[in-house]
Amino acid sequence: MATPKVPEVRDIMRIERIGAHSHIRGLGLDDALEPRQVSQGMVGQLASRRAAGVILEMIKDGHIAGRAVLIAGQPGTGKTAIAMGIAQSLGADTPFTALAGSEIFSLEMSKTEALSQAFRKAIGVRIKEETEIIEGEVVEIQIDRPATGTGAKVGKLTLKTTEMETIYDLGNKMIDSLSKEKVQAGDVITIDKATGKISKLGRSFTRARDYDAMGAQTQFVQCPEGELQKRKEVVHTVSLHEIDVINSRTQGFLALFSGDTGEIKSEVREQINAKVCEWREEGKAEIIPGVLFIDEVHMLDMECFSFLNRALESDLSPVLIMATNRGITRIRGTNYQSPHGIPIDLLDRLLIIATSPYTEKETRQILKIRCEEEDVELSEEAHTVLTRIGMETSLRYAIQLISTAGLVCRKRKGTEVQVEDIKRVYSLFLDEARSSQYMKEYQDSFLFNETQTATMDTS
Amino acid sequence: MAVQSWRDSLKSSKKTALIHDGKRKIHYLFADGKEMAEEYDLKTDELIARRWRHKSTLGAQGQWQVEVGEPLPTPVASFECDAIQENCSNPVFMRKDTKSSFQWRIRNLPYSKDVFSVCVEPSERCIIIKTSNKKYYKKFNIPDLDRSRLPFDCSALSFTHANNTLIVSYKKPEEILTLEQELLKVIKKVKDTAGPDGDCKTQ
Repeated sequence: MATPKVPEVRDIMRIERIGAHSHIRGLGLDDALEPRQVSQGMVGQLASRRAAGVILEMIKDGHIAGRAVLIAGQPGTGKTAIAMGIAQSLGADTPFTALAGSEIFSLEMSKTEALSQAFRKAIGVRIKEETEIIEGEVVEIQIDRPATGTGAKVGKLTLKTTEMETIYDLGNKMIDSLSKEKVQAGDVITIDKATGKISKLGRSFTRARDYDAMGAQTQFVQCPEGELQKRKEVVHTVSLHEIDVINSRTQGFLALFSGDTGEIKSEVREQINAKVCEWREEGKAEIIPGVLFIDEVHMLDMECFSFLNRALESDLSPVLIMATNRGITRIRGTNYQSPHGIPIDLLDRLLIIATSPYTEKETRQILKIRCEEEDVELSEEAHTVLTRIGMETSLRYAIQLISTAGLVCRKRKGTEVQVEDIKRVYSLFLDEARSSQYMKEYQDSFLFNETQTATMDTS
Repeated sequence: MAVQSWRDSLKSSKKTALIHDGKRKIHYLFADGKEMAEEYDLKTDELIARRWRHKSTLGAQGQWQVEVGEPLPTPVASFECDAIQENCSNPVFMRKDTKSSFQWRIRNLPYSKDVFSVCVEPSERCIIIKTSNKKYYKKFNIPDLDRSRLPFDCSALSFTHANNTLIVSYKKPEEILTLEQELLKVIKKVKDTAGPDGDCKTQ
């Protein structure tokens, strides 16, 4: 059999689930940092997007440490979306750590430890390390699938250089990534032995004359020389936290996999900081300050805020972005009131970006983008009705109705969501206002109805 | 002299010895954090295995690297087999020294002797094995010579082929022989420290 087996790609294409912000692909700014009205999944909020763009430039420069930004605005005005947009435009190489304010409260770890870990996760170190790679031209790739369709696949890969030839046994993961990369006989590939990452360098010159349909971008390369396995210096980015974990003696490297890292001694951290600074001076490593995003920042308490004050002063600190939807409220852990529930001295260090409620036109746009993202067709009237719902109740509620209305529409074998479908789900699911109304009317018949007029208690 | 510096670092290293399974096992911990483990046959005093372990740049503990002796069985088979592994039909390269020479054995090479050519590359300080049928190629150095910074000698090299195995030998230079003799005397004096797992009886 000379022709390579056509790899089946379908079974490994991961279907991504659609999250609340999966339509965000960036901040939607042009080169002059001017926001476009609708771009990259972002709609409206022009001033705050522009502001976020300026912050983004500062992060990309990487010279300024320990700045903090607060995104404040009403619920459902795109605060998290702006943070996600920043994360998307930073690219894969700049660390972006996101956490919610309540995540740091745990019995296993003190609040400040959790915060310092989050801070150190947001600082990347680019460093050269030697790894073993396999580099060669594919002679043959053979994958046997069990006839039943399930169970382990077995594969063999023959690679050669100008001097030698070796057969490799393939594991399941490797088979998947080989077929995802569409590797076939004649390709020159490298495989990172430690991580199993495959990269295609191009097609071998000896195959240039093969009659084959290939794209214009196909590159031809020489068959590699010498040994198949080589040691090569690669540059990769690790976070300071990862280096901490590797060097904390208790569990060693395996702690990275077990996930249970526990607390890290401050001496270890100091050693690492000194080591990293040494590397930087010797030119071995480069520090990439990233972004730490704390959502719902009003959930932090007084101790955390004073820790933040201090942590921001270190020159190894990332850019901190926080988001909150609170107005003037009690600072958690005290009896003082303060704007956004954040102490004034910390607020003084922040740049504050405000988001404002969406207009009807913008709501309409957002709903349209979400429909595309969720693959739901909406008729013109249904769109108008949904926009009205969005304006009168909340944007989030309207977005929730999209997928449910889509389902109702599919059940009646329709292709396009009509006003009836929207009406149906509107009657099936209550929004917050109608639910409160219902509660007020029927509170006598509920259990434990000795309602004290609830003020939300955050402590 | 360079031989001397290697001899000194061997002497100053922290040594731990253990006799087990008819083998004398010695663990060296060097000042720079590198570790070396050797195994000698109790009767013949021949070196059976030598392994090294380094710390990676980030400070993680590395895997043991085999310099002399049988390759280690893949540590966590289930963890590894998901990725990529050499097929068992491939040539297996290992070093197995004799008293008078360094020796390498490459099993699973079912070609006739005239296919192979073995030569020393003094400029790159390595030995290269080539095959005219382009099936096998190997470039390797002799760490012992590198450590003592001794020159390579083309005439010391020889090779034979039998039973699908290629055997390459390189005669040990005088300096190495005396160094090994000295080292053997030193490690025999290292007290057999009873390990925590109680493999050895206390005298």
